[in-house]
Amino acid sequence: MIWKTAWKNVWRNKVRSLVVIISVTIGIFGGVFAVAVMNGAIQQRVDAALNEEISHIHINNPSFRDNYDIRLFLPDADSIEALCRQIPGIEAVTQRVILTGMANSARKSTGVQIVGIDPDREKQVFGLHRRTMEGTGDFFETESRYNLAFIGHALAKDLNIVRYLIDQSTIDRLKDRGLPEETAEKLIPFIGFRFSGEKDFNNEMKQCLSLNEQTSYGRLIKEEAWTFRERSRMTLTFLDANQMQTGAVFRIAGIYDVKNNAFESGQVFVRNEDLRRLTGLTGHQVHQMVIRIADLDRTDEISGLLSQKLPGLEVMNWKEIQPDLAMMTGLVQQFYLVFMIIILAALAFGIVNTMLMVVLERTRELGMLAAIGMNKKRVFSMIMLESVFLSLVGGVVGMIFSRILILMTARNGINFSNYEEGFEAMGYSSHIYPVISTGFFIMVTILIILTGILSAVYPALKALKLDPAEALRTE
Amino acid sequence: MKVLEIKNLHKIYNTTQIRVHAVNGIDLDFEEGEFAAIVGPSGSGKTTLLNLIGGLDKPTEGEILVNGVNLSTLKSSEIIDFRLRNIGFVFQSYNLIPVLTAGENVEFIMGLQKWDRKKRDERTRELLKAVGLEERIHSRPSKLSGGQQQRVAVARALASKPQFVLADEPTANLDSKSTETLLEIMESLNREERITFIFSTHDARVVKKARRVITLEDGKILSDETRN
Repeated sequence: MIWKTAWKNVWRNKVRSLVVIISVTIGIFGGVFAVAVMNGAIQQRVDAALNEEISHIHINNPSFRDNYDIRLFLPDADSIEALCRQIPGIEAVTQRVILTGMANSARKSTGVQIVGIDPDREKQVFGLHRRTMEGTGDFFETESRYNLAFIGHALAKDLNIVRYLIDQSTIDRLKDRGLPEETAEKLIPFIGFRFSGEKDFNNEMKQCLSLNEQTSYGRLIKEEAWTFRERSRMTLTFLDANQMQTGAVFRIAGIYDVKNNAFESGQVFVRNEDLRRLTGLTGHQVHQMVIRIADLDRTDEISGLLSQKLPGLEVMNWKEIQPDLAMMTGLVQQFYLVFMIIILAALAFGIVNTMLMVVLERTRELGMLAAIGMNKKRVFSMIMLESVFLSLVGGVVGMIFSRILILMTARNGINFSNYEEGFEAMGYSSHIYPVISTGFFIMVTILIILTGILSAVYPALKALKLDPAEALRTE
Repeated sequence: MKVLEIKNLHKIYNTTQIRVHAVNGIDLDFEEGEFAAIVGPSGSGKTTLLNLIGGLDKPTEGEILVNGVNLSTLKSSEIIDFRLRNIGFVFQSYNLIPVLTAGENVEFIMGLQKWDRKKRDERTRELLKAVGLEERIHSRPSKLSGGQQQRVAVARALASKPQFVLADEPTANLDSKSTETLLEIMESLNREERITFIFSTHDARVVKKARRVITLEDGKILSDETRN
């Protein structure tokens, strides 16, 4: 009876209740969707890091990471690998040779980490091969008698291996993809120009296009003007097994794009066989074992087991290799909670105000209810329930709307391409797929109920203080 | 059988400037099935007396015993529960819950007493039939006339079969026809259910129907007349 009465009381003053409900709806909708976007970005970052950059567990010589000395191998790598493969939960293992060196093109040179890999085994541990940019080649799939390197998009730009070129066919393709005639005409003076750097190209585009055109079509123009010269080459220099400076020309096998400038600029992948030949290393000499596990929740357990079985070697799981990732996955949940609490706390003031009005307006009725035998506990519960219903209706509607928007945007993602450079500089993709767990919705529902209860405490206490005889005399 | 005993009852209101002796040494007994009116001019202490009997206010001195239970000995939470089970109220301005239907208003007290659904439905229909509003069971108070609302209030007051019903000026807002109907209904319920009715009233028509008339003046009993 109390529940039914409380529910009907919510709709006693429809306009006032709807104002509160709509404000809760907007607050929850905005909050949940914002969290879903943040969560999507972070989850994409973590997924990318684990699938394309570091995987789950590394085994190194304990001193190797201090100076990346070529002589600090893993002792008896094959035995270590055999031991790893016996542990249940380990999905794949790959061996790497890692050197530091310089990447040089005709125009520029930059410091890089040169990673010698076995491409077939690497594919079992990493998904980097799936991030090969269209038209730039492949992940060492084409046979070649030359040394091959698989490099990042950012490094390709740094070394001027990619270029921006506008010709008539570029403009025709842009028109086909929806570029307005008026904007296309502004590009005609650039026909035949070749921009060796992205920065130069951007500067020219900023001068000839309006801000609106840059926002709407800048990314499209860049995509079409982007060119890659096949069989581009670069030189990699490094120290060999005898600590002698050596190097070789490498052809670009392909370019990968993981939307993380730092990784793309610093990691060059080459075939183990090429690197061994150039450094004089033997087939058993590797610097790192990289392990992929089946269940991420067992990370600590498996890395702990490996540490026990491999005393004297450095076993690091992804949380230790990149503590920022571990922090993000752990801390971010608390941040979402605080974020939603702040939103609900702001909404709570509106609910308190409404419930105070409710008590004030219904003084006589509350007096009557006390007179006919409704005890304080029930009066308190009725006011609590009204407040919870008010907040819960708004909250549930807000969550439904946010869920719909999340589903709508999760399919194609939200494109923040205008801020692409900023996102990629931080290692995040500018194309975000919002995502949120069912657990988060449950947490928000609990928070909404708590907000309703807390918002009703003061008004309900005021109602309990009413003297029934006096309240009944109220006009 | 006595359902209500009032012994040497006093109620004094002390405000900052004046001291009002609203009820001044009243002794009264009510038997089961009485149909009594408390009359008197404004300020004579009628409503105060009713509030004291109903446990809505505490006496300054004296005792009120309902079926032998002294209300002064009960804690405030116990008094509320005692009211729920033993006392029915009818107010001057009906005081129905506007968001509930007539049936739900009647059912409300039974719900508070945790009667089972079937018993509640039966009793609600029985009472609404008794007050002639069975067909308005699903109507909200706003769709009922003042007289009809007061009849629903009477049905609500009787819902949990109380020891007695206290009605404070129940006909004050009703026209003569509605007053007549309401009084007939209350009288017949009083006879059928043997429930004691105690009114405070100014209304001569109520006084005429009452079988006992207690006249108050300045908080004291001026006369206590029983009719046959």
